[in-house]
Amino acid sequence: MDFIQNFPFFSIILSMFSGTVCSVLPRKAARWVNTIVVSVAGILSLILLIYLIGTGESYTYMMGHFPAPWGNEIRAGILEALMALFFCIIMLLSMLGGRKKLDDEVVESKHNLYYILVNLLLSSLLALVYTNDLFTAYVFVEINTIAACGLIMIRQNGRTIEAAVRYMIMSLLGSGMLLLGICMLYDLTGHLLMSNIKESVELIMAEGTYHVPLLITIALMSVGLAIKSALFPFHAWLPDAYGYSIVSSAAMLSSLVSKGYIFLLMKIIYRVIGFDVFDGSRIIDVLFVFGLMGMIFGSLNAIEENDIRRMIAFSSVAQIGYIYMGIGMGTQAGMTASVFHILSHAATKSLLFIAAIGLTDVSGGSRKFIDLTGAAYRNKWAGVAFMVGSLSMVGVPMFSGFISKLLFAQAAVQNHGKMLPALIVLAISTILNAIYFMKTVIRIYTPVEESKYESITFKNMKLYAVTLVCFIILNVVLGISSQPIVDLIEQGLAMFA
Amino acid sequence: MKEIMMLVVILLPIITGILVPLLPFKQRKHMEVFLEGLVVLNSLLVWWLLTGSQEEAFTLARFTGNLTITFKIDGMSMVFAGLVSALWPFATLYAFEYMTKEEHEKTFFAFYTMTYGVTLGIALAGNMLTLYFFYELLTLVTVPLVMHTLTREAILASRKYLYYSLGGAAFAFIGLIFIIIYGNTTDFVLGGVLDLNKIGDRTNTLLLIYVMAFMGFGVKAAVCPFNSWLPDAGVAPTPVTALLHAVAVVKSGAFAILRLTYYSFGTDFLKGTWAQTVVMLIAMFTIVYGCSRAVKETHIKRRLAYSTISNLSYIVFGATLMTPLGMMGALSHMVFHAVMKISSFFCAGAIMHQTDKHYVHELDGLGYKMPWVFTVFTISAFGLMGVPGLAGFVSKWNLASAAVESGNPVAYAGIVCLLISALLTAIYMLTIVVRAFFPGKDFDDSSIQDIKDPSWKMLVPLVIFTVFIILFGLCSGPVVSFLKDVANGGY
Amino acid sequence: MIYLMLLPILFPILMGISLLVRKEMKNRPALLITTGVSLIITALLGLLAIILARGEMLLLFNLTATLPIIFKIDNMGMVFAGMTMIVFVCAGFFSFEYMKHEQKEKRYYGYYLIVFGILMALCFAGNIITFYLFFEILTLSSMPLVLHNGSREAVMAGLKYLFYSLCGAYMALFGLYFLNKYGNTLSFSEGGVINAELAAGNIQLLLAVAFVMILGFSVKAGMFPMHAWLPAAHPVAPAPASAVLSAVIVKAGVLGIVRVVYYLFGASFLRGTWVQTAWMILTLITVFMGSMLAYREPVLKKRLAYSTVSQVSYILFGLSVMDAGSVTGGVLHVICHAFIKAALFLCAGAIIYKTGKTRVDELRGIGKEMPLLLWCYTIVSLGLIGIPPTGGFVSKWYLAVGALESGMPGFSWVGPVVLLISALLTAGYLLPVTIHGFFPGADYDYQKLQKKEPNSFMTVPVLILTVLSVLVGLFPNVLINFIQQFVTKIV
Repeated sequence: MDFIQNFPFFSIILSMFSGTVCSVLPRKAARWVNTIVVSVAGILSLILLIYLIGTGESYTYMMGHFPAPWGNEIRAGILEALMALFFCIIMLLSMLGGRKKLDDEVVESKHNLYYILVNLLLSSLLALVYTNDLFTAYVFVEINTIAACGLIMIRQNGRTIEAAVRYMIMSLLGSGMLLLGICMLYDLTGHLLMSNIKESVELIMAEGTYHVPLLITIALMSVGLAIKSALFPFHAWLPDAYGYSIVSSAAMLSSLVSKGYIFLLMKIIYRVIGFDVFDGSRIIDVLFVFGLMGMIFGSLNAIEENDIRRMIAFSSVAQIGYIYMGIGMGTQAGMTASVFHILSHAATKSLLFIAAIGLTDVSGGSRKFIDLTGAAYRNKWAGVAFMVGSLSMVGVPMFSGFISKLLFAQAAVQNHGKMLPALIVLAISTILNAIYFMKTVIRIYTPVEESKYESITFKNMKLYAVTLVCFIILNVVLGISSQPIVDLIEQGLAMFA
Repeated sequence: MKEIMMLVVILLPIITGILVPLLPFKQRKHMEVFLEGLVVLNSLLVWWLLTGSQEEAFTLARFTGNLTITFKIDGMSMVFAGLVSALWPFATLYAFEYMTKEEHEKTFFAFYTMTYGVTLGIALAGNMLTLYFFYELLTLVTVPLVMHTLTREAILASRKYLYYSLGGAAFAFIGLIFIIIYGNTTDFVLGGVLDLNKIGDRTNTLLLIYVMAFMGFGVKAAVCPFNSWLPDAGVAPTPVTALLHAVAVVKSGAFAILRLTYYSFGTDFLKGTWAQTVVMLIAMFTIVYGCSRAVKETHIKRRLAYSTISNLSYIVFGATLMTPLGMMGALSHMVFHAVMKISSFFCAGAIMHQTDKHYVHELDGLGYKMPWVFTVFTISAFGLMGVPGLAGFVSKWNLASAAVESGNPVAYAGIVCLLISALLTAIYMLTIVVRAFFPGKDFDDSSIQDIKDPSWKMLVPLVIFTVFIILFGLCSGPVVSFLKDVANGGY
Repeated sequence: MIYLMLLPILFPILMGISLLVRKEMKNRPALLITTGVSLIITALLGLLAIILARGEMLLLFNLTATLPIIFKIDNMGMVFAGMTMIVFVCAGFFSFEYMKHEQKEKRYYGYYLIVFGILMALCFAGNIITFYLFFEILTLSSMPLVLHNGSREAVMAGLKYLFYSLCGAYMALFGLYFLNKYGNTLSFSEGGVINAELAAGNIQLLLAVAFVMILGFSVKAGMFPMHAWLPAAHPVAPAPASAVLSAVIVKAGVLGIVRVVYYLFGASFLRGTWVQTAWMILTLITVFMGSMLAYREPVLKKRLAYSTVSQVSYILFGLSVMDAGSVTGGVLHVICHAFIKAALFLCAGAIIYKTGKTRVDELRGIGKEMPLLLWCYTIVSLGLIGIPPTGGFVSKWYLAVGALESGMPGFSWVGPVVLLISALLTAGYLLPVTIHGFFPGADYDYQKLQKKEPNSFMTVPVLILTVLSVLVGLFPNVLINFIQQFVTKIV
């Protein structure tokens, strides 16, 4: 066994451990530890990814001393490593970009807590990505939920607490359903390890027994995770949670937490239920329809919104809709597109959140559009970044959003039944995206005669500006040289099955 | 070598545009010389490129798989690139004079020049993806130009423009996807690239997609019902309205439709289907609709904008005939209408610049105060009406005879639409002329005593365009035979 | 030698433009001398061209590869050209006095000369493209004559004239597109140019096209239902302008129909079809309706305008019968009507000029005031009614006889009857002026009587026209032999 194969385990443990350590360190040190840990986890994932590309096959990694079918396993393939790498990058950039706001908005005594939560979030995300064991997955789902709640609440005002409570309730509902699903699956198959369950499910399908319970299981798990990842119409918790929490939290919640759940769902589809079984069930159509509705209604809500942060939050609902539409198409191409969109949306949405905060800061902290007029001139970097993010969202070529759109559309054409609805909704949703994002871009680039607010120069926001540039680069890289990444995703998906 | 030059001619104006706000020009004159010099240089380069031998395609970047950013010069590129590069230097010259009354000149010229590069990108695009890419980019670089005055009206107009264009692109995108999936290649090949084996029994779906993509690109070409952005976008400074909203932007839409119809889906696949009838009817309706709205409109620029809508659909109508002759007609109207409309818009701009008059009923008697401008305007009006001996007649002749040749009964009705539109054109253009030259018996000209023709910077482009209108009208033989070769795949 | 035929076209046009453009022409005597000399030179040049270049064909240049501009002087053209020259010179000299009380004479003479040149071009046009080219320009350049006095009604009437004419022109253009496909050539040739092979199977289409073309050109000729511009345009135009408008310019429409029917489609193609029937019905309706309206009309110039509507349809009726006799009559009536109607309008103009009276009931005793003029009026009126020995009698005789001989069921006698009724009505609307003019009644106050006979600039042209119209009636054989000679070839 190669040493590199230990890396998933290392990164999970490292982030968990550092979370514990952070509680006792001074504030600055905790910040450093956090930054370093996230970077190290990223580097480890990168090395693992390169290694896996080299070997060309995935492996399972036994935790503890009990071999399968008992015990508890980690599995690493290209897709997992890619996801982990990506999550680390986004988290790092979100933390850096939001650092100043953290100092401003959160009382100092809570900073250590914040870093603990972030580390915890990272470890749970990595665990969700790597785990090969449903029960472990459930445990980390819960950890993830708790960490996320903390991240929302860390900025203490009425709004965030309300949002956190709401999030908690909805999330727990989701976890409960997931747990029910896992229990039923355990009843049906007697296993908790994914590979073993899959074998049993295949057997059950072959025998033709327990059809209904299996269907219910799939439904419970899908819906549970859908609630947690804010699929329309279960998105009620989302705007407040993303809209009022501090910016790094919002960025991480939208680009990492919900994506972690979606990735878990994909994993369940491929590794637990089996793609064909899932494809054969009606649930897939439900997800597809909800996805389409999300694309439309999320955007419609966003158009009505008069608060830039909430607008971006509603846009997330639409984007999650895209991802579920891809899953719902029931083709490999659709799945590839969804995975790519996870990456692209993560990169874009956190960019937008971070850029938006820069704009609101130079507008007296107001998030109303009327005050944002001309903000792009007061904070040039944030203005450009917001524009790039918007263009990506609208799907202008050269940016990542275009590639996702391209992949989704290509996938749609392959599914004869779902082609037209998918394509038309895709087009309409593009128009809607254009409406609210471009409206905002025009707004922030409309100069005002004599601004009430001061502008900010590069000197006062070096770190912030650099973060934005990194985000833009990430976005453009995804947009221009997407082919290697798409190849990796396809290989990874092949490894899944 | 020449392949790289394609990239150069696209990038040079874009870089020039970016440099304009950055460079510290001491005097306005320096900026003028700098800009005009580079624009002329670029135009010369383009013409050098076009007249030379045809080189291979040049691939700049790869997106995924076989999706590339590729440039290639074929007949259609030559027409469009040649047209654009011929008009741009004059328009820039005109803009120098016009913009003396407006603010934020540098931003304006920056985007104005960048648009040149992007439009050339559309012209030289070698495949659908590249076209789509520059098409989106064109929307983005032109929005600041529409917004230029920053009045509430301008902002609303630019928003509308943006939504319409991006929305249209979204539907065009669907067409792109189908070309990718069902085509042998995304490159432009005269006659289409669809792989009939792959299509199987899904012809109707593909036709539906064609109609969608047609409408998508049609947004920029202002076909009904997606045309209301164009008159609104007239709030932009006149050089923009003249060059972009009569030539570059809107013709890109028509250009894209031609590419879509003749080079991607292919006329063999589309001809005689319901899709052809649908798009043809849309074009015909727009032809008449645009004209009738123009007759009702009293704001000069908006009137001309509606006229553009109608005339663009002439081009689209030619495209929907789906014969080489139809394409030839469409191309000739593309070129000739460009010259005529830019000329009439420049006149409108000159009037607004010299007199601050914006409405038709304010023009009484101006013909004698600004004889050059109004003579030019009259000639372009006659041209647009299709008076023989001027450019408009030739292109209409080409379109109509193509319609007759096609033998399609719907196309016959299209000829009727063309002629109705010609009559309406006469009404909305000549009422202006008559007002200007025949102000009425007891007209008191003391209020317009001081008005005179604008300076040479405005007049030179006007006169040159007029000369071209007449030249094209009288001896269009070489141009038309060139376009015929293009339509038959000769280049 | 062959280029000689361009001279009577280009010379007046260039002179006209120079009159419009040059400033020193504000000086009235210089203006009049220039105009007068130009008119005479043009007429002489026209004669020279007819004599020396008759029957030759001049290919000037090509608009596009397939659209040549050709001039050719054939017999039909000669008839129209001769008539045009005489009327134009007469009305031109009449203007020298008449236009004293109007403003902007320079503009008037400028356009007058241009219209002259264009009419010559129409007569000499060798193919339908050339004809159409000058037909449109004729409309555009004659409009300023109509709206000359600049009052609101004049401008409105001018625009009405413009749009009606353009509408007609575009209908003709519609047919042109089809002729381009189904004809062997677009040059006028006796017996038609329709390619029988291509036409087979498309006969109905071509018939419809022919009908549309006839309707199109008949707008200028004032045929029902597109006659409404005539009564609007005539009263507001200066009298000499009305004279040429009514005598010559409406004949351009007639010439267009002659060319279309006899030189493009060919009489054999149309004879016996629904097109002939429908056309004939329209002409008869017009003949009757025009006379009726004239009879009820109190304003003299308007009455004459309605009379034109009616009389021109005599010609069209003759053409629609497609019998050698009736066509001869029609062509002869072209000449007679031109002289007569020009004389009538000039008389009306002289009356207005001297007395300012426009309504028929105001003209009591006018014969006592200006006896010479009213004598002329009476003589030509008799001619228009068709009383021997004036020209009108001869032409109507041929028209009626031709219709009777054609043997068309029903029409062969309905036509002559309508013509006869209309002749009675003509007497009814023209002669009251004479009667009241010479016999003002017992209560006429002879004390106030003044001699108002105008000077020789006015009387001589009227006299010449009167004499000519009588001469045609006295010695018709020269003309009739000439006309019959070429009419038999085309019928």
